Amino acid sequence: MLPYLLSLPALLVCIAILVPFVTAAVYSLQRYRLNLPYLRGFIGVDNYIDFLSDPAFWNTLRISLVYTASTVVLELLLGLGIALLLRRPTRFHNAVSIVLLLPLMTAPAIAALMWKLMTNPGFGILSYLIGLFGVHDFKWASDPSTALFTVVLVDVWVYTPFIMILLLAGLRSLPRQPFEAAALDGVPTSFVFFRITLPMLAPYIITASLFRLLDSIQQFDIIYAMTQGGPGDRLMVFQVQAYLEFFQYTNVGRSAALLMILWLITNILSNIFIKNWLRLRARAHGHA
Amino acid sequence: MARLELDSVGKAFGAVHCADGLSLVVEPGEIVAVFGPSGGGKTVLLRMIAGMFEPDDGDILVGGRSIVGAPPEQRGVGMAFQNFALFPHMSAQENIASGLRAKVGSGEVASRVTSISRLLKIEHVLGHMPRELSNGQKQRTALARALIGNPEVLLLDDPLRNVDAKLRYEMRLELPSLLRRSSAAVLYVTQDYREAMAIADRIAVLINGRLVQVGRPEEIYARPASVAVARLFGDPSINLAEVTPQAVQGALCAEIAGTRVLLESDERTPVDHGVCWLGVRPDDLVIARDFGEGAIPARIVAITPMHERAVLLLRFADGTEWLAALPPDAMVGSAEDSVFVRFAPDAALLFDRATGLRIGPQQRRQAA
Amino acid sequence: MDHSSLAGRIFRGVALALVLVFFMFPIVWILLMSFQTNEQILRIPPHILFEPTLANYEALISGQLRTAAGNLEISFMRNLMNSFVLSSAAVLLALLLGVPAAYAFARFKFRLGESIAFTLLSFRFAPPLLVLLPLSLYYQELGLNDTYFGIVWVYQLIALPLILWIVRGYFEDISPDIEHAYRLAGHTWREAFTRIAVPLAGPGIAAAGLLSFIFCWNNFVFALILASADKQPVTVGALAFVTASGIQYGQIAAAIVLSVTPTLLLALYAQRYLVEGLSLGAVKG
Repeated sequence: MLPYLLSLPALLVCIAILVPFVTAAVYSLQRYRLNLPYLRGFIGVDNYIDFLSDPAFWNTLRISLVYTASTVVLELLLGLGIALLLRRPTRFHNAVSIVLLLPLMTAPAIAALMWKLMTNPGFGILSYLIGLFGVHDFKWASDPSTALFTVVLVDVWVYTPFIMILLLAGLRSLPRQPFEAAALDGVPTSFVFFRITLPMLAPYIITASLFRLLDSIQQFDIIYAMTQGGPGDRLMVFQVQAYLEFFQYTNVGRSAALLMILWLITNILSNIFIKNWLRLRARAHGHA
Repeated sequence: MARLELDSVGKAFGAVHCADGLSLVVEPGEIVAVFGPSGGGKTVLLRMIAGMFEPDDGDILVGGRSIVGAPPEQRGVGMAFQNFALFPHMSAQENIASGLRAKVGSGEVASRVTSISRLLKIEHVLGHMPRELSNGQKQRTALARALIGNPEVLLLDDPLRNVDAKLRYEMRLELPSLLRRSSAAVLYVTQDYREAMAIADRIAVLINGRLVQVGRPEEIYARPASVAVARLFGDPSINLAEVTPQAVQGALCAEIAGTRVLLESDERTPVDHGVCWLGVRPDDLVIARDFGEGAIPARIVAITPMHERAVLLLRFADGTEWLAALPPDAMVGSAEDSVFVRFAPDAALLFDRATGLRIGPQQRRQAA
Repeated sequence: MDHSSLAGRIFRGVALALVLVFFMFPIVWILLMSFQTNEQILRIPPHILFEPTLANYEALISGQLRTAAGNLEISFMRNLMNSFVLSSAAVLLALLLGVPAAYAFARFKFRLGESIAFTLLSFRFAPPLLVLLPLSLYYQELGLNDTYFGIVWVYQLIALPLILWIVRGYFEDISPDIEHAYRLAGHTWREAFTRIAVPLAGPGIAAAGLLSFIFCWNNFVFALILASADKQPVTVGALAFVTASGIQYGQIAAAIVLSVTPTLLLALYAQRYLVEGLSLGAVKG
């Protein structure tokens, strides 16, 4: 009895999650517009089918995937590189790794505002600095051709420390013997990195990328604070699009369907990753 | 004070029976050692009495009252844990005082903590935190905490396991009188037969969840109920040989490595057992240079000291190897010497080969 | 392993310097901007040396923004206060509800507990709007929209899973024997919980609380959807402030500094627990 009593609050939170979730699933099968309540009704999977012929949906899917792929790959490479630089646990390295946590602890929406100030075409320090290198008329987030680059840059600034801190913990927890043996045998550094370090680090890399992948494909704060999905529909990722469908176009059914698709994608991605994670962890621990 | 009764207590985790029909009575003021190999169910038994697990069947009574289903705090049971289980965020003083179940004034608490810690010689570390204590001091603190509440039942889970050898030796001498002061019914779990014999009034041998023998220490040593019990008591452990006892002129004899040895002069044991295990303790072997009646020729393979005794590894003609433990002054010969090995008939223990149970008259050793 | 060659060391030094510049420059630059007047900010080329002014902070704290068009009332301090109130209340509630539940999950293996833990973890990765948008409609019906209680309650979706997962690990690390020993001395489970388990899991509870506070503070989308201007925290408030104040860049920078300072200080204070908290224990793998 006691354990059930103690977990009651947690159960309530679960219900507070699950009820809206089921509601969203139901909405996604309805024609439901807040401004036209009398039209509300069950329409099966029509909302979903409509997406197939809707270029806006394909744009959303494409932008979301490109955004996710670029942020995860960049953050992974950069995070791994920094973790390797800070690998030896000296006081200086520890201090650097703590300082690098600060961007991660900045609210992403606020981080977007910081970068907005720095990339202001009129006085922004970054605009000025690239001007010194002869790049003028670089409009950052307000130009369709560079908007994606700008928000990816902010995402990289905020979230690279996340990958770095996880991989650093992983690197420092690796057993020393394989590396000492390799050093004694004079094995080349590149071989050690690709054949010892990376495989042993693989479970950490998978975990870190999964966390980032799932957060990144759902990114809202940075993009909304920076451009609200613009310029035009240039940064209409899933959650921004769903937000606008709901509040601007008051089309609840469509918004819910969009989010259900996003939820499905995150589920598929996490399943793939968890399977690989288990396999790689087993290998890293020496079971075939 | 109250007696502790276990009435056919059973407990299984999945297919593993940790307790199987355990029945045992511990009188107030009595110390019963629960002894057996690890994994035999000793700790699970204590934890059922303490209320961390409930038995699947059977009953546990303290002072005639069943405590099954009662929360731990209402069982009147004190316990000292093998890993001490001290509260890391409290000083030794606070740890000990926390064991006082009765609501007493702070002056009373202080005086009782002082007296129990004086008894256990830890007054000087009362202000220390557990991490600042040596293992021996931790153990004494844990004991003080268990004793201070005057529990009706005191459970000690291998309390000397994690302390060093010197302290273990001292505690073995001190503990019996210390525990008897409390007049609690004491169950003392140990994996060391010497400790069990030194501390307990009675020993309950627990193997694979069953109590295979309960008795006074010397009783169990002299008349082990089975080969398994015989092998658990004694270091070096008992010598075993396969023999076929035969009646010869009203006496019971057997051949060991070609030599006929007398097992019983008046043949009270039936001989129809066929092949048996013969067990003789290393201490009961007598080594001589000269041949005598019933002496087995042997070669000394090696000699090694052990516990102030000399242990001889002997090899008989058929390749059987036995150990003999001799006081140093009884030493004869050196390695590679040929000697003759004898033992008194009452030192011979016979066990059924199939069941491992001892066969023969109950009063065997005492008759000698 | 050891790049002791001179070239290697120079490379690593330069690389580290670049990393530090990239990640620290924005914070330092915004901090500098917050002490500059608009004229100083708009100077080209920018000056590293300038005469610092506290005018931006004074304007924010007094709530009076002087613009060319006249005085503008700003509620940024109210947003800051909202952030404190909402985050603290959410964390306190989550601790109150979550620590006993974490204890139950750690000490009793029961199916409901496993299901709850799994559900909370899997929805940690679900799109927040999927839950929030329908919830906002429910909130309108229940009258919880734009109330402090309503926002504190949805913040439980952030704080409670975090507290459950971190604190559960700490409870699992406490030997059950220690609690048994306390109970055998005549104490109830509740006393064992409050006097043994909670103090021993103290560092974990503190860390989980701090992290939850940071994440509640940094949250943007929950309040964007559920709160109107006078209930909004700084994350939403700062965005509104940017729109409202237009070109008062000094004040914007000061507002940003005020918004991020509390969490950055907490992060520095609790940094050694961050790894565990950020990965919900996944690093232990």
